[in-house]
Amino acid sequence: MRSLLWGLIRHRPDLYLASGMFASVLFYLFPLVPGLIVRAVLDRLTGAATAGPGIPTLVALLVGLGATQGVALFGAAAAETSAGQYAGALLRRNLFARVLERPGARALPSSPGEAISRFRDDVQVVYQFLTWTLDPIGQLLVAGVALAIMIRIDPLITLAVLAPVGFVLVFVNLASARIRRYRRASQEATGAVTDLLGEIFGAVGAVRAAGAEERVVAHFGRVNAARRSATLKDLLFTQLLWSVSANAANLGTGIVLLLAARAMGRGAFSVGDFALFVSYIGWLAQVSSMFGNFLTQFRQTGVSRERLVAALQGAPPATLTRRAPIFPRQLPDASPPPNGRADRLERLEARGLTYRHPGSDRGIAGVSFRLERGDFLVITGRVGAGKTTLLRALLGLLPADGGEVRWNGRPVDDPGGFLVPPRAAYVPQSPRLFSETLRDNILLGLPPERVDLPAVLRAAALDRDLALLDRGLDTAIGSRGVKLSGGQAQRVAAARMFARGADLLVVDDLSSALDVETERLLWDRLFAGRDARATVLAVSHRPAALRRADRIIVLEDGRVADSGTLAELLDRSPEMRRLWAGEVAGKRAGAA
Amino acid sequence: MSLKGYGAFLAAYLGPQRRRVALLAVLLLGSIGLQLANPQILRFFIDTAEQGGSLDALLVAAGLFLASAVIGQVVTVAETYTAEGIGWTAANRLRADLALHCLKLDAAFHGRHTPGELLERIDGDVLKLNNFFSRLIVALLGNLLLMLGVLALLFRIDSRVGLAMTAFVALALALFRALGGVAVPHWAAARAAHADLFGFLEERFAGTEDLRANGAVPYALRRLAERAWALVRAQRRAAVFGVTLGGTTFFLFAVGTALAVGLGAYLYRAGAITIGTVYILFAYTELLRRPLEQITRQLQDLQQAAAGLARVRALLDERSAIGDGPGAPLPDGPLAVEFDRVTFAYPPEARPASADGTADGAADGAAREEGPTLADLSFAVPAGGRLGLLGRTGSGKTTIARLLHRLYDPQGGAIRLGGVDLRDLRLQELQARVGVVSQDIQFFQASIRDNLTFFDRDIADERIWAALADLGLDGWCAALPEGLDTILPAGGGGLSAGEGQLLAFARAFLRDPGLIILDEASSRLDPATEARIERAVDRLLAGRTAIIIAHRLATVERVDEILILEGGRILEWGARGRLAADPDSRFAGLLRVGLAEVTR
Repeated sequence: MRSLLWGLIRHRPDLYLASGMFASVLFYLFPLVPGLIVRAVLDRLTGAATAGPGIPTLVALLVGLGATQGVALFGAAAAETSAGQYAGALLRRNLFARVLERPGARALPSSPGEAISRFRDDVQVVYQFLTWTLDPIGQLLVAGVALAIMIRIDPLITLAVLAPVGFVLVFVNLASARIRRYRRASQEATGAVTDLLGEIFGAVGAVRAAGAEERVVAHFGRVNAARRSATLKDLLFTQLLWSVSANAANLGTGIVLLLAARAMGRGAFSVGDFALFVSYIGWLAQVSSMFGNFLTQFRQTGVSRERLVAALQGAPPATLTRRAPIFPRQLPDASPPPNGRADRLERLEARGLTYRHPGSDRGIAGVSFRLERGDFLVITGRVGAGKTTLLRALLGLLPADGGEVRWNGRPVDDPGGFLVPPRAAYVPQSPRLFSETLRDNILLGLPPERVDLPAVLRAAALDRDLALLDRGLDTAIGSRGVKLSGGQAQRVAAARMFARGADLLVVDDLSSALDVETERLLWDRLFAGRDARATVLAVSHRPAALRRADRIIVLEDGRVADSGTLAELLDRSPEMRRLWAGEVAGKRAGAA
Repeated sequence: MSLKGYGAFLAAYLGPQRRRVALLAVLLLGSIGLQLANPQILRFFIDTAEQGGSLDALLVAAGLFLASAVIGQVVTVAETYTAEGIGWTAANRLRADLALHCLKLDAAFHGRHTPGELLERIDGDVLKLNNFFSRLIVALLGNLLLMLGVLALLFRIDSRVGLAMTAFVALALALFRALGGVAVPHWAAARAAHADLFGFLEERFAGTEDLRANGAVPYALRRLAERAWALVRAQRRAAVFGVTLGGTTFFLFAVGTALAVGLGAYLYRAGAITIGTVYILFAYTELLRRPLEQITRQLQDLQQAAAGLARVRALLDERSAIGDGPGAPLPDGPLAVEFDRVTFAYPPEARPASADGTADGAADGAAREEGPTLADLSFAVPAGGRLGLLGRTGSGKTTIARLLHRLYDPQGGAIRLGGVDLRDLRLQELQARVGVVSQDIQFFQASIRDNLTFFDRDIADERIWAALADLGLDGWCAALPEGLDTILPAGGGGLSAGEGQLLAFARAFLRDPGLIILDEASSRLDPATEARIERAVDRLLAGRTAIIIAHRLATVERVDEILILEGGRILEWGARGRLAADPDSRFAGLLRVGLAEVTR
């Protein structure tokens, strides 16, 4: 916790100190002044004091003080917001960079909705707390000044007031463990509600077709009720703590009343003194409850910090505050290195690749193959055979449990960082598009002058679709590309891959969203890409792909069942024959 | 929104909680009374002490003060808890109402609104209304009462003081009101920047694989930096404009205190009031601070709540174009299907919702420009018959399926099920009797049982196990740690596409419909896995009418009749055997090339 806050402070100490000066120190000291002025007024009236400024001067002072306080507030707002927001931006940047550093298919620590809540809510808890960390100094200062003034008036009464404040601190500390638990439960319940809503409206067609609207909403109601009760528990507990602090103040005032009763009768304690005591005790109690609040926030920040560290998924906690450019002007020009490289693909080997999906016995085991430059290698197998897993493990999108990948004979330590453009590019089975223009979705940051877009569009069989879009490449394709059909989205992803000009093209099953004709066109173009010395590794069970393959690997239950040309495999592999027979079964049935 | 609108809304959602609302009002009045009484005790104490009154009286006053303070705290906690409880209950009811309403809206609506947007409107907007339900009205009334109470007590002390402080309060309220709106557009801009940032992140989270494998990480970080800077700037502006009100408040209350103290001093010297009363003027001015600050903010909140309420109302006012029918009875058993001169085009703003399953959105889009998606289409399937639908992507196959379970209504002609026009049926009856298995299968983060039954607790486990056994999934399910109670992870993670497909079949089995529509049900299955479920599919189709949309010939082997569509019209329709035997038929041509798609 300390290192997290230190890291954030070191990032921008200037903003942090400015925020502390205005929002922490001045904020606490200002309210002490009116007490002094009102005391002077009352004492002049009762005759307890005869010297000092007259009442009109005192009244004018009150007004001037209010004006100063108002102006200082603007400084506080600007400084505090800047300090907090800069820290929040750094945290989010480092978390996001870490997510993008992880194997792509296992990037998030939890569901996307949950991850968003960490990026939003937990980051906010931490940066807000950061701007409060100097508050205890302001609080200490105000306590010191107020006590000094009060002791000068009456030491005995002053000391008697301190007791309840001490009680509050002990109490809040004892209660802290519970706060943590209730807060976490309430956060989890909220996550469950948002996750479920997302699922319901993602599946609206299925829900309607099943006529299950009422039942689904009844389930939603149950999840909602759980969130209500978790939130109310959290709230009740926080309120109780707050109430104890506030009562400590009243207790203090009550003690002053009891003790001052005698002193006032003797004339040793003036009405002005009384007003000052009540005012200061009120403020000190607020301050002490703010300190209690600070401790509470400290605990809750601890919860959020844990969640942020968990979101790092194994990286050291210091990663959160690592110095990094957070705003555009701090970034270097982001164009990737040009394509002229020494280690162009000659040969790619996978040796004994193994990956087990956590908590199951599924995955791939000991898969080896070899790919020479210009090869067209197809991986096939039935559903669940491990085809996608193999591609992901090869590309480092899943962390392999065993085996190695060699590029031109040299072992690749970090496939996820190595098998990227300009060495390799990839089209996943369900590609994701972003709500930007079509052009940006394809380029993803490549400098436009380095990409032959017309050729890329042709290769991805997108040229005809483009003519139908009203703004061509500048069409904004909507959230997650909703304005495109599934088939178009898949071809945009193919264009993305072609645009990288990579040596190795890796393509997962294209059949899920494309009609047969378009799919065949894409295979044609991919195959034609071989002339440009591209090497292709594809998952497919379509004849259009299998017929063209230089070599086919048949996966069965995560292992290589056989490999060879189509003819060889049809000759000797029963699994290949089964797959092929299913694919062309209709033909035989029709002929019969 | 009008006052009446608020009233109706509050009545609908707070009405059922009448007793808790009454309790809240009592607690609120109690807490106001205690706040007003407290300074009176202090005045009595000061005056008694100044006049050298008895120590006993002073000690009693001190005791009273302590008691009223403690009771006040208890009342405040109880009040907050009650208010929040009321608010959450009301808001949860509203959430459920909204969710149900949206679920019942037609496909065109879901085409216009993404799941994320609906999440924001059902949870986000309503969260802002929590406050409206729980506190806003009550707290606003409470603050007004407290303010009036203080002013009344001040008038009792001295009418000049009362008048002066009333003028001060009026001035403060007017000033706050004038300044209240200053920050609003800036907060709106900050919220927009915030939403933009998290929308960006959510999309990127879904696409980590694409970003990583295509070397787009620096690009994504640059985009994040742009949004981060936009957010910082917007937040800073909003914060600075946001304290305009707070800054003015500091100044104004300094003026108020000065006024009270100055007037008090004058009246004391004139002998009109005691020193205890001078103190009470000061104390009451302090007491005015909170209601004055809060009333302004609460009036703003009320405006925001009005905006939120208006959005909620707008959502509730959305009407489905698909109206419920009067409830004509359907015959039992398999249901005949008849398309009678059906003409249909998608409404202009509707793209097919991502949820209902297929990927020919672009084709629909193209068809839209060329004319109706279905043009004067007539065909029939007898009860228990099986029809295979073939055609290129965009030829209208999926549209036929959508019309059959009334995601849309045709513009011309009629669709009849079991001899009854679809529009005469209750939607619930229709949904119960038409089963759809599409290739895009959605799962909930819930138990396997709930996923299969769609949360229908009336379906016995034996039936679920029987359905799973029919599909050969019973072994798989029994091996799971908690069997049917195993919770599926988000997005059906951990299931292969084939298992997902099989579970979708199980869903259909459990509903026992009279018409089954298999919508490209096997396109994602590899042939070997498909073979495994053929037997199960045959059992599913037994005794039911079936319409099967297929990309592969293997799938249409089991049908009686073939219908080939092109451009929303029938290209060919007849018994499968006859078409296959006729060398001139399109179907026979397709068999020769081994494609289930009509290519040119």
